[in-house]
Amino acid sequence: MKVNGITIDDTFAEAFGMSSTGVIITADSPRWARQAAVTMSGFGTSVIGCGAEVGIDRELKPEETPDGRPGVRVLLFGFSPDALAPQLKNRVGQCVLTSPGSACYAGVDAKRRIGLGQGPRYFGDGFQTAKILGKNRYWRIPVMDGEFVVEETSGVVTDAVGGGNVLILGNDRTGLLSAAEAAVAAIAEVPDVITPFPGGIVRSGSKVGSKYKGMVASTNDAFCPTLRGRVKSELGPDTVAVLEIVIDGLSSKSVADAMKAALKSLIEVGPSKGVTRISAGNYGGKLGQHHYHLRELLP
Amino acid sequence: MSGLTFRLKAAPDERLDVSELTPRRLASLSQGDIERIVVGSTKRQLKVGDVFALGGRAADSVRFESGSSRLDFIGSRLDEGTVIVDGDVGDYAGREMSGGRLDIRGDSGAFLASGLKGGLVTVKGSAGNQVGAQRAGDKFGMMGGIVVIEGHAGDRVGDRMRRGTIIVRGRCGSIAGTRMLGGTIWTDQGFGANPGLLMRRGTLIGPNVEKLLATFVDTGKHDLVILRVLSRYLAATLGPLAPRPITGPVRKYAGDLATIGKGELLIAA
Repeated sequence: MKVNGITIDDTFAEAFGMSSTGVIITADSPRWARQAAVTMSGFGTSVIGCGAEVGIDRELKPEETPDGRPGVRVLLFGFSPDALAPQLKNRVGQCVLTSPGSACYAGVDAKRRIGLGQGPRYFGDGFQTAKILGKNRYWRIPVMDGEFVVEETSGVVTDAVGGGNVLILGNDRTGLLSAAEAAVAAIAEVPDVITPFPGGIVRSGSKVGSKYKGMVASTNDAFCPTLRGRVKSELGPDTVAVLEIVIDGLSSKSVADAMKAALKSLIEVGPSKGVTRISAGNYGGKLGQHHYHLRELLP
Repeated sequence: MSGLTFRLKAAPDERLDVSELTPRRLASLSQGDIERIVVGSTKRQLKVGDVFALGGRAADSVRFESGSSRLDFIGSRLDEGTVIVDGDVGDYAGREMSGGRLDIRGDSGAFLASGLKGGLVTVKGSAGNQVGAQRAGDKFGMMGGIVVIEGHAGDRVGDRMRRGTIIVRGRCGSIAGTRMLGGTIWTDQGFGANPGLLMRRGTLIGPNVEKLLATFVDTGKHDLVILRVLSRYLAATLGPLAPRPITGPVRKYAGDLATIGKGELLIAA
């Protein structure tokens, strides 16, 4: 079908069940809260190679944070709570504890908990102290600019979703990028989701397996424009580039809402940016528990 | 709010132990059963029916429509519901409470909230010595929950306190936080002499101190994030009962260096 001149494939995005946790990072200014969040989110694009998929959910106003300072919420997605625990500990210990003026609190409210400050507190070398307020324990670790305050645990959920996606095809590579940027900005308005790839956009979509032993994933040749004619291509003759937006969310609904926001944005701005077609990635529906049909998500 | 009510027939001529008069323990009793509960502390074995006029019906609250400094152990071991006292109470009010709310609309005697584990205790007037303190034979003093005293508190507030928060809108007496192991004591008007004697951990917060122990060391002025967290938590939990938030830096004294010295006295700078 065509909407506003853009072909919408009759297909679906196939996504997987994941575990997820999150943190709220605060600092003296929004800039420094975001700096710590960006640093913590580094090398967090794909769970296969990075151990976790990490990204900024949204910025928080001072009245929304535990200490009344500006903050940023970061979400982490992994295969299991056990797999997330070392990722959370290391990223908070190396990227948030080190960031000037920062503090770090639980960003997901769930009964099941994993360590947040449980590991980093030992950096205090015996000078750390704890304060229990209600049901939460906060560690105070002396550092060179004062104290790093970090909550002992954060909630973790096991019914999160990873791998919602949209494929954007078109005849203008730079125009396609700006259309994808607008779609990522639209997704950023949806709560409880992240787009973990660089700037929210991935240009190296993958297929399962490889001709090389030991490679679990390799380039999605069917969507590579320079291989058209050499492989069983999915691309029409006018397609010069394909970009993908991958979405992880705390719930299936949040992923669906994010895909809706992306489709709406792409349909609105896409025609002027060279977007000719929108598709989605799947594995035939046999691997992932969650299927998001593009037709059902159109505005 | 409906519930059982107790009105003193006359000023008691002996100390009364009213620890059994909480909503949960009275819920399954008939009026006759309640009136036969022994509350006297002498060989006379005074019963509820001898000293109180009983009214209302069992519900999630109990109200003492008149108070006396001879009513001990009010709200003791309360775990849910509300106990309200329209007057003064004696010693050990709220002892070993683990939940619910105890509202005292007069003054309290000694050992208010000793062994408190959870819940909220409020005192409209002032409290005697050893609020939230260890009672002989106990391992610790207060171990959780929140106490709000709108008047003043006596000496040794929080003796061997381990967790929880004590807020004194007035002034604390001498050696507040003695032998403290954790938790927070926050006074709006200041501390008497020698707060934190032999404290190991924990936080004392106030605008001034009468006399500082030689074993507390000045670490300078600091803008502490944990104070912001604490202020917001108390404001969200207590509403108008919360202490005035401290904005800006505080002067931090660390001690007691006669022990491990991980406690702190924070004076609004």
